[in-house]
Amino acid sequence: MPFAVCCTACPACFEWNYRLIKKIVAGLSILLALLLALAGVVAAYYWRPALAPINPPPAETFSRQLVEQGRVLAGIGNCAACHTAKDGADYAGGRGLASAFGTIYATNLTPDTQTGIGRWSLAAFQRAMREGVRRDGDHLYPAFPYTHFTHVNDADLTALYAYFMTRPPVYAAPRANTLPFPLNLRALQAGWKLLYFKPGALAPDAAHGQDWNRGRYLAEGLAHCAACHTPRNALGAEIASSAYLGRPMVHWYAPALTSANTAPLPWTKDELTAFLRTGATALHGVAAGPMSTVVEGLKGAPDSDVRALAIYFADVAAAEHSKTDVDAVVKAAIAHSQKVSLVDNDRGASLYVAACAACHSNSDGRPVAVRPELSLNSAVSLPDPANLLQVILHGSNKPGLMPGFAQALSDADIAQLAAYLRRSRSSQPAWPELEAAVVRARAAQ
Amino acid sequence: MHDSIPVSPGRRGFLIAAAGTGFTLAFLRADSSLADSKLAPAISEQEAAPAFDPGIWFGIGRDGIVTVNIARAEVGQHIGTALARIVAEELEADWDKVRLHYVDSDPRWGPMVTAGSRSVWQDFDPLSRAGAAGRIALIEEGARLLRVPVAACTAKKGVVHGRGRSVSYGEIVRRGKLARHYTPEQLQAIVLKTPQQRTLIGQSVQALDIPSKTDGSAVYGIDVQVAGMVHARPKIPPTRHGAKVVSIDDTAARKIKGYIGAAALNDPSNTVPGWVMVYADSYAAASRAAELVQVKWRTGAAAHVSEQDILAYATRQLHDASLGARVVDDGGLEQAFKGAALTLERHYTTSTVLHFELEPLNALVQQIDGIWHVHAGNQAPSLILPVLAQALKVAQSHIVLHTYLLGGNMGRRLNGDYCVPAALAAQALGRPVKLICTRADDSHVDSPRSPSLQHLRLAFDGAGKVIAMQHEASAGWPAQVMFPAWLVKDKQGHPYDPSAIAGADHWYTVGAQRVRTVSNDQANSSFRPGWLRGTGPAWTSWAVESFMDEAAQAAKADPLDFRLSLLQGKGRNAGGAERLAHVLRRAAEKAGWGAAMPADTGLGIAATGGQERGMPTWTACVARVRVDRKTCMVQVEKLTLVIDAGVIIDPDGALAQAEGGALLGLSMALHEGTAFLNGAVKDSNLNSYLPLRMADVPELDIEFICSTEMATGLGEPPVTVVAPAIGNAIFAAVAARVRHLPIRPEAVLKALDRYGAV
Amino acid sequence: MHNIIVNGQPLAADVDPQTPLLWVLREVAQLTGTKFGCGIGMCGACTVHVDGRAVRSCITPVASVEACAITTIEGLSPDGKHPLQQAWIAAQAPQCGYCQPGQIMQAATLLRDYPQPTDANIDAVMSGNLCRCMAYVRIRKAIKLAAASGQEMPPHA
Repeated sequence: MPFAVCCTACPACFEWNYRLIKKIVAGLSILLALLLALAGVVAAYYWRPALAPINPPPAETFSRQLVEQGRVLAGIGNCAACHTAKDGADYAGGRGLASAFGTIYATNLTPDTQTGIGRWSLAAFQRAMREGVRRDGDHLYPAFPYTHFTHVNDADLTALYAYFMTRPPVYAAPRANTLPFPLNLRALQAGWKLLYFKPGALAPDAAHGQDWNRGRYLAEGLAHCAACHTPRNALGAEIASSAYLGRPMVHWYAPALTSANTAPLPWTKDELTAFLRTGATALHGVAAGPMSTVVEGLKGAPDSDVRALAIYFADVAAAEHSKTDVDAVVKAAIAHSQKVSLVDNDRGASLYVAACAACHSNSDGRPVAVRPELSLNSAVSLPDPANLLQVILHGSNKPGLMPGFAQALSDADIAQLAAYLRRSRSSQPAWPELEAAVVRARAAQ
Repeated sequence: MHDSIPVSPGRRGFLIAAAGTGFTLAFLRADSSLADSKLAPAISEQEAAPAFDPGIWFGIGRDGIVTVNIARAEVGQHIGTALARIVAEELEADWDKVRLHYVDSDPRWGPMVTAGSRSVWQDFDPLSRAGAAGRIALIEEGARLLRVPVAACTAKKGVVHGRGRSVSYGEIVRRGKLARHYTPEQLQAIVLKTPQQRTLIGQSVQALDIPSKTDGSAVYGIDVQVAGMVHARPKIPPTRHGAKVVSIDDTAARKIKGYIGAAALNDPSNTVPGWVMVYADSYAAASRAAELVQVKWRTGAAAHVSEQDILAYATRQLHDASLGARVVDDGGLEQAFKGAALTLERHYTTSTVLHFELEPLNALVQQIDGIWHVHAGNQAPSLILPVLAQALKVAQSHIVLHTYLLGGNMGRRLNGDYCVPAALAAQALGRPVKLICTRADDSHVDSPRSPSLQHLRLAFDGAGKVIAMQHEASAGWPAQVMFPAWLVKDKQGHPYDPSAIAGADHWYTVGAQRVRTVSNDQANSSFRPGWLRGTGPAWTSWAVESFMDEAAQAAKADPLDFRLSLLQGKGRNAGGAERLAHVLRRAAEKAGWGAAMPADTGLGIAATGGQERGMPTWTACVARVRVDRKTCMVQVEKLTLVIDAGVIIDPDGALAQAEGGALLGLSMALHEGTAFLNGAVKDSNLNSYLPLRMADVPELDIEFICSTEMATGLGEPPVTVVAPAIGNAIFAAVAARVRHLPIRPEAVLKALDRYGAV
Repeated sequence: MHNIIVNGQPLAADVDPQTPLLWVLREVAQLTGTKFGCGIGMCGACTVHVDGRAVRSCITPVASVEACAITTIEGLSPDGKHPLQQAWIAAQAPQCGYCQPGQIMQAATLLRDYPQPTDANIDAVMSGNLCRCMAYVRIRKAIKLAAASGQEMPPHA
């Protein structure tokens, strides 16, 4: 019975309910007060003062060697991926990062004094990287992965600072984020930090060697790999217990880097080294989309750093413990690759014969990187078809030129082709609703 | 045994006219002009004007180079090389000094059509005689120069020899006075070489058109460019006939760099109703702009016609015995069926098939000094010149169709309709216009092979003898739609298109025989049915040769034995039936007919008389096929073909045609076929139209019967035998009978479910 | 403006960046040996080499091959005597010939990757090249002839 009716009908009931309501309201008020007090405490705890603006240091004050070091580190951190907009000036910001909460626009890292970091001291830069706080004391959103950069050491931060302060200054006012109230209140980030931010350096792990530790330092720190490769919760924080289990991005899928990775062959340190160094291997495929910018950024890093990352992630993937019979898998893949026929009732197979086999078939017992073997390809075995669809639609520049088929094939064609590859080139279950996935993938470019 | 030598009436007429002024083999010195302008050499456009020009067939230069004029379209059959060889054989030319000249359209060539696998058959005799006539004149003049009696002289490899002395053709042309008249009777009286005397014909030579096809220098219609030309891509209306433009909106197209404009065509010839042309300064821009131009049409009635409508219409037509024409009409048919001990009755169908010639339709038209120059690959200038004249409203003599190589033709370019919009556009714009269709455009304006419905009945008497056979077919008629002059009449005067029924008039002795052909006017009014390599025989054979196997099954006889028992060669089948029986036996022997087969593998046999009774090419095929019972996919493992085409001009060239034709037959049997959907074909590109690829080529074993008989055509006959051989092999393999082309796994599955049902 | 190198010569093309390389070659460079067949990368008639490897030029935007070295059929050999071209003539492979430049260009990459190709190699690598005349038997024969000739496949311009 509706309360309004109830309360006029039965005075006794009304009396009892009224008292109940009073109790509830009182309780809620106390709770609210407590929460506000707690919030106040937290906010106070995370409050940071503004740091005084400085005059931008002249470029000569930074040694060439330091600047070069910073350049290499900026590549490892792939800062440009977020802070350089498509067709925009280097590091001038403006790229939007879509999130569940709205779009956050990356800021201007050039030393412009009005719109960039020209008036930031080294201390301000360090604080931003290590604590997620900007010069004026406001919190930064975790779209900026300070949760990782907090691990970066002083020497590296100094070098990065030298690099950014010596870039050409670009006047580019940052675009306003589109976060709704109350998410646009930066002070509330204090609560997020309380729950999810553990600042500070990583202590070396004596159980592992120098290379592994170096790799971990880079991966968990500047390279912030988990920012893409670890699932996030509803508040946008990485789920620590699901580290490196992979997750969907806007138009791509960042694969799992643990033994949960679905590629048919294990990611050994040699495979990872080659992949991160060159962007393509014969046994796994090609770094495409956002990962290709990672590889591009790593170009300046010394071989020892790339090797260190490979050693770290080979361990994350437990590659050395893999029981996969690599030779048998490769042999089966090649044998399949040789079977090319129109005599198949699957439209996808016919499309493959005519459009793909010429470049993708392999022989002679061993695939070559320039003929990406699709039975071994990571994209074909992922839980999400996004990566495969992106490459079919838009092509790839590495290792050889693959044109995109966006204009050539319809959504239905590409869906059938992807379904054919999935069922014939992987042992994973079929992807559902492929045609809808193609439509979404087309929107990406 | 065979019909009298067929010379195309046009050429015969020309020769007779020339005899009025003397068939002058004019000799020219370097400083003199042509004796008779009526015989102006067609090769005069060339820089080195030849000095010896026996009429229109060939000329010899002072350097001894023999240039043979080729008035046939080069579509991949290397016809130029074949025809030049025929000339060179009798002319005793040095083959290394022979060159080809593909001529542009001109009335002097008579009807210019390359079709029906007829070129060699039609040109063999006239070209042989022209070559012989030239040789005789050269020997006479050479003898005079050598001061040796003519009787003591011979000619060999471009040189006249006599009593130890010799003089080359080039020298004779330079120094001699070549002048010789031939009346048509004199030409006809020349004794040609016997097969044993031939030195060129029967040998394999390298085709003269091949080298340019390996280095990018070969020129096809699509490659032609002229300064100042405008690029164009058409907007094709939803129906081939009857469409009218209501509105054109090019707002979105205007942002394309290079876009010029869009306009509907006004076509007095009604060849391309409803076409809109989109113009730009490059083809890429025209193509993109055309995607963005929005056109509203009022469509023709065919917008509501789909494949099943055409077949349903055909079904109704065949029920009406008064329709169509009777190509064969023996008496006593009805009585035979009434008194039959057993009657067999079946229906067979085929889908719409696209030409998919690899060079999409294109034409470049330019007007210069009142002459309309049309640059396009085409195999029948004679058919399109009148239409162009009507469209442009000029005399045919003001139009020249320039010849180019054709990029994969299969008969599409018999219908030169694509020249019309380019011509109209050039006229409207006052600038040269180059039209190129995209592949999808091409598919939508194809003249596809019409879907067909065939109904066959056979009657056995009590002793198991075949006493009657009836075959009725309904399909679109290409000639009716595109060239009514090619319709012929049956005995009652009813017109019919031979290319839509040939093959049904087979060589088996079946007692009382009736063949009836009906024009599917719904097909004709919905699209332009076309001639596709193999034409009628390629789909009538599907019915006849599948039905022969089903009849053999009913008679509990082996399919080969059953056929041989009907090839008695009586009456009108005399001669031909024996040659057909021979190729059947030979193919069966080669293929191991009768041997045990692995599981789910079978041999199927089929044979035809080629393209027409008047020019039979005896062709037999055995297919070995394996069927996967689970997936019902059909794997063709081997095709064995035996062909009797009379004299083989070039064994290697013949083999190439047989390979290509057989594989096209295979492609159409299993992989190719589309369907009309609301007035347009539903498959327009390779994403869903699936011609055979390299990976699915089976083992091929092809043999030609050694023969001195009249040379008959080879381009098409191999196409006709493959599909029924495969259908019959599927039955032999898994006892599943399929009756529709193309054969799809679903059909095999359905037929498997009715195991053994007859 | 897009700058590419075609058969060793620089070419500047003032066209929309999305213009397929095929039309830049045919209309700007006036090299018509490379053919248009389907426009969707499924017939192979448009095959050229980009930095030495076979690519379908009809679906390759000219912007994506900026500064790359393009080789067309005209540039495969200075005198038309590439081992594949010689083999094509010896085997009398072409019929209408329209697909053959693309076939030869694809076969050149096939032989680079597999100097002694098996039938399976030929099936897999050549099935993207449609031959409507169905001259496949001789294309296969010509590839094997070229492979058996023992001649080095020349480097590209």
